[in-house]
Amino acid sequence: MTAPLIYVESCPVCGDGLCRIRVCITDQRLNGCVLCDECEAVWTDPSLQERVSRKPDADDPQCPGCGQSLWSKNAHWANIGEVCLLGWYDRVRVVSAKEG
Amino acid sequence: MATKPRSESAVNALRMIPTKWAVILLGILIVYVVLQPRLNQWFGWNLPSVASMVGDEKPAKATNKKGESTKNETSRNDTAKPTKKGNDVEPDLEKESNPETASSKKKPAEKTKTAEEADEEREQPISTLGKSQNNNPSQPTKTATKPKNESDESDPLYGFLTEVGRNRYESPAGLVYGPGSEEGHRLKHIARHLEDQPDRPGSHGVFKGSMKAFLTTIDEGYARAKKGAKGTTKKEDDGLVVYEITFEKAIGFIGGEAGGRKKNPATKKLRLVVRGSNVITAFPF
Repeated sequence: MTAPLIYVESCPVCGDGLCRIRVCITDQRLNGCVLCDECEAVWTDPSLQERVSRKPDADDPQCPGCGQSLWSKNAHWANIGEVCLLGWYDRVRVVSAKEG
Repeated sequence: MATKPRSESAVNALRMIPTKWAVILLGILIVYVVLQPRLNQWFGWNLPSVASMVGDEKPAKATNKKGESTKNETSRNDTAKPTKKGNDVEPDLEKESNPETASSKKKPAEKTKTAEEADEEREQPISTLGKSQNNNPSQPTKTATKPKNESDESDPLYGFLTEVGRNRYESPAGLVYGPGSEEGHRLKHIARHLEDQPDRPGSHGVFKGSMKAFLTTIDEGYARAKKGAKGTTKKEDDGLVVYEITFEKAIGFIGGEAGGRKKNPATKKLRLVVRGSNVITAFPF
């Protein structure tokens, strides 16, 4: 059984990626943002209104909450529970992974 | 009773038909011999050669999908018929990734491998990336000047890239492929676009050809886009630069759910996203 794919919409920057909810946990606090899984553009929330700029010298996209790399071990794609905790469940689409 | 050799019986058969017809048949045969490899190349057919029909030689495979990249033209010619082919790269994700991601990316393509694809598979070496190649700074860097006969099979740089730092590889046009992305390395990330993900929502551009051909195409597009050549556009977006390049021939097809709904149309366009000279992603669109 695989986890469902949760996304907001196709990326308005690159057109091919999916804007997905990325969370990181720092000091027992859940930080959420929206991250394009193709071009790594970051937004603060699923409205995709506010882009998060990356530091010029940063290789990886950074969490707007704590500044850590969104590819670090502390970060992962949000599951449905985490999306609910962030209060974003009604702003995402959930695609069930097809079996076999 | 001993049977006559095949060639002898063929000659006897020829003697039985009028000269005029024999000449016509001979003409047709010559035309077929000349056109057969070209037709295979142009249309990706698999017409058997005369030798294979007469003797025991196996039919020649379509000649346009050779692993050796004379130029990316080779792979681009393949694109008339989009297929969901097996990737020649199976990225070995090293970073912790969510199972949902892994599952969505690793859906096996539902197509049996052809000989050509097997050839292409041998060209791939990405699985070694990110496993700290050449960590020793004193070790000489690998370059594209490697002799051709060593083949690209075991070369993580495809005989095309030059190692310019730890896990950082530069292309002839100056693009840098380094660590990053969910897959751990940009080369692994763009390798996702060698394979369709039919269940992925939206569209998913798929390059039709080998990884080396893909890198060559990206480089060619980048060189053209930097000059502002015709058929290219450049858009800057918060540090990201998005180039769009249109090629003369199809380079791939549109996959994913959206592409599948449209029967995977072929495309001539490539989108390249860079930050400085660092590649973020590239894909046909």
